[in-house]
Amino acid sequence: MDRETLRKLEMLNQLSLTEAQKDEVIDFFAKRDSELDIINKIDTENTERMVHVMPVLTVVREDVASQPFSRDDLQKGAPETDEGYWCVPKVME
Amino acid sequence: MKLYTAKTETSAENKIVVDDMILTKDIPTTAGSKMLEGYVSLFEAEVLTRLNNAGYGLCGKADVGEFSFDLLGETSCNGANIVDGKLVNAAARIVSDGDAFAAITLDVNGSTRRAAAQSGLVSIKPTYGTVSRYGTIPVACSGETVSVTAKCPMCVREVLDVIAGHDDKDGTSLPEELCAKIKKGAEAKKAEKVAIIGDFLSCVYDDVKAKVDAASEALKAAGITVDVIDSKVIESARVAWNILMCAELCNNVSRYDGVKFGYRSRNFTNLDELYVNSRTEAFGETLKTAILFGSETLSTENYMKVYDKALRTRRVIVEEFAKIFQEYDAVIIPACSSLAYTEETLKNKYIAFEENLFTAPASITGLPAVVSGSVQIIGKAFSENTLLDLAKIVKEGK
Amino acid sequence: MRYETVIGLEVHVELATNSKIFCSCSAHSYGADPNSHVCPACCGMPGMLPVVNKRVVDFGMKAGMMLGCDINRVTTFDKKSYYYPDLPAAYQTTQWFAPVAVNGLVEIETSKGKKNIRIKQIHMEEDAGKLVHDIREDTTHVDFNRTSVPLIEIVSQPDLSSAEEVEAYLERLKTLLRYARVAECEMAHGTMRCDVNLSVRPEGSDKLGVRAEMKNMNSIEAIKRAIEYETARHIDAIENGTEELRQETRRWDDIKGKSYAMRTKETAGDYRYFPDPNVMPVVIDDEWFNSIKASLPEFPEVKREKYTGEYGLGEYDAEQLTKSIALCDCFEEAYSVCKSAKDAANWMISEVMSILNAKKMTYDMLDISGKALGELIVLVSDGKVGRVNAKKILSAMFDDASIDPAAYAEANGLIVSNDTGLVEEVVKAAIAADPKAVADFKGGKEKALMALFGKCMKQLKGNCDPAVLRTILIDHIQKS
Repeated sequence: MDRETLRKLEMLNQLSLTEAQKDEVIDFFAKRDSELDIINKIDTENTERMVHVMPVLTVVREDVASQPFSRDDLQKGAPETDEGYWCVPKVME
Repeated sequence: MKLYTAKTETSAENKIVVDDMILTKDIPTTAGSKMLEGYVSLFEAEVLTRLNNAGYGLCGKADVGEFSFDLLGETSCNGANIVDGKLVNAAARIVSDGDAFAAITLDVNGSTRRAAAQSGLVSIKPTYGTVSRYGTIPVACSGETVSVTAKCPMCVREVLDVIAGHDDKDGTSLPEELCAKIKKGAEAKKAEKVAIIGDFLSCVYDDVKAKVDAASEALKAAGITVDVIDSKVIESARVAWNILMCAELCNNVSRYDGVKFGYRSRNFTNLDELYVNSRTEAFGETLKTAILFGSETLSTENYMKVYDKALRTRRVIVEEFAKIFQEYDAVIIPACSSLAYTEETLKNKYIAFEENLFTAPASITGLPAVVSGSVQIIGKAFSENTLLDLAKIVKEGK
Repeated sequence: MRYETVIGLEVHVELATNSKIFCSCSAHSYGADPNSHVCPACCGMPGMLPVVNKRVVDFGMKAGMMLGCDINRVTTFDKKSYYYPDLPAAYQTTQWFAPVAVNGLVEIETSKGKKNIRIKQIHMEEDAGKLVHDIREDTTHVDFNRTSVPLIEIVSQPDLSSAEEVEAYLERLKTLLRYARVAECEMAHGTMRCDVNLSVRPEGSDKLGVRAEMKNMNSIEAIKRAIEYETARHIDAIENGTEELRQETRRWDDIKGKSYAMRTKETAGDYRYFPDPNVMPVVIDDEWFNSIKASLPEFPEVKREKYTGEYGLGEYDAEQLTKSIALCDCFEEAYSVCKSAKDAANWMISEVMSILNAKKMTYDMLDISGKALGELIVLVSDGKVGRVNAKKILSAMFDDASIDPAAYAEANGLIVSNDTGLVEEVVKAAIAADPKAVADFKGGKEKALMALFGKCMKQLKGNCDPAVLRTILIDHIQKS
């Protein structure tokens, strides 16, 4: 991890680190990188990836619509709303 | 320092405290983060509904570390809870003080189990999918589990029976017939052989070592065979779990951006500044590091060699446990390296990514784990009854 | 040098389900009040968990089968991360690793003949919300009604080479998906949207040129204009070096008739896909697969052939009826009851379709019962209900699809009367009341008879066989 990669990573995650923290993060990455050896020693050549730990398949629901929540309630804690919309500074397209 | 983020009145005889990862209607939920400032959920967690229906009453919400993946809650926006120089977990402390009969927490990265081990409490992280996660703040969904902490194995048992069960609102919730296997009265094998994974013993202080020895003696006295075995594979769970946890966390906390609810920076002139400044001002440093690390593991360049590798390692670990369980009924792994963390411990901001060496094996596999007598006992899926029997022996000598 | 244009399309189609893909909010967001169809999940709040709407998988499979795809029997969902205000959770749940359908083939027909377009894949995903830019100058307004409405994205191989082919391909997708009743595919409503990937290369070359991507095109005419403009721009750049072509996303301005490079962030495209731990893999077993397979409609050209062949209809009638699967179904059901394809077709085309037109409804919106229409046709052909009254009954059937024509006719006095005594009374009264008309008719004015006939029919509320009335009327006039 270098400063330039970190800059892009911050941008990608909408964060801005202080210089001191950048050093910390780079150290953290270095440490984690060195630990990769631990799992790289494990042979996973013929092993399927495991996303879900329990073998449950095909969890689906019926196509029934309902509306238990009101807009006013949902927008109660909103930083900014107007005429029933959430608001953000003008987006340039 | 703050034990409760909110206190509530209840006339119920059995009081429950939930940690602030559990959504409550009409009471704020903070997840220990400034980011959720002012956020009040419009619905409550399924576990809370079940507890209310069973006559339990909520006495308050316990503070947590920011998104609860730290050691014991020290990264909370309210600061660490330090009592007599020792780091204290809010939910465990409330139960220890007798202010609540049990604590319901989201075990994201082992803080619940570490807290129970250090407070001499009993805690169960049930089999993944047996307790609904509906209404919990999502962090590392593939492994996090709603857990119960109380003073005795039977107290934990009682509460677990109320909250376990299928829930249509959680797509990872197991069918009722599988959930029923962990409840009281379900057929349970009486443990005959237990394995201590020796690799972990070289990573703990003497106080923890003594607890493992005591547990071993208690089990032997009860006629159970205890062997010490080795497994490098299970030790590798930590590295794989850190990758999976941070990637999922990065994705799950991306929703907090100052637009829909919660904290919004005052300092912005355009959308990018709104996003960046809101997140930068409200998120703590440990969280930011975890976000960046998680994001990087998912980059096009790293996905196969880091994230996909961790997913495959997860299966190897699951298979390794299965192999051990062919011969043993349960496995003992310490829950933490030491029975107390001091302010000195916290000098390493990222200590939780190392200390989870002990808790990651059960987190990454979804296997049930009980903490009792300050040690962690891990069993096969749905072996909660066997584990609680062992917890009783370890705790009470029979 | 001669050049060829190489075009691949990514077509987004909103599925016509009742509820959203992962939560139970209504999926019918078009024209609704802002944020009136939302819940904590689809406005990005934490704690709700996604549970897949089964009908979305049904429709995904159906679409795949209609477009000649192989169905992945294990299909999974993945998360795609990026920040944009219309994406409330800052991730979209989509299918990256195992989409529902792959390797399809769609046949199109243009002035140059028939051609097969390969489909790379069809994946299911959630739609984003809508941004409104024109309410306030300094602010963008965000509406999450459309968030999580189910979509399929149909990704073609770069097999298209002209605006005409693109139009034919889009029309074909529209027809097939509407026939399968999985989607409205109305570009003007945003229920069908299109990303166009275009490059130009010397004819015969097997190397692809530099690709431009135009996103979110929502009218076929605009797409055609954009393709022509882009093709010319690329050729100009290659031949005359007017600009250096770059792989980029461009925005089509249909008013100015020009495309512009869009400003993109350096991190754009870094989506960090990973499997969604909260959504279990969906396994399509044989029973599910076969039930969907069995529910597929015949293709329009198969129906046309059946109508002109087996049913003996003319080309025009077959063309009209196959404009919509709803028309086909209604017609076929009516035919199975009334046993006359010609009668059923006539009723469909001259009555049913004109009522739909008058009501400004699309043919797909037809929901009267074909069985009831068949019964109504039988009532008319048996002489039990007059044609004028039959139209009244049909009109009532549009308001209430559960109407039984015979019972309705009975209850509302619309049955042809066999009581000639009543007819004679009415005729006598009419003749007595209008001696001038009688005299005119006798004097050779045919029109006078029609006036009398009309008055009688009105008096009889239409419930008389016209031939019977005519005979009795002439008989009485001559006697008078």
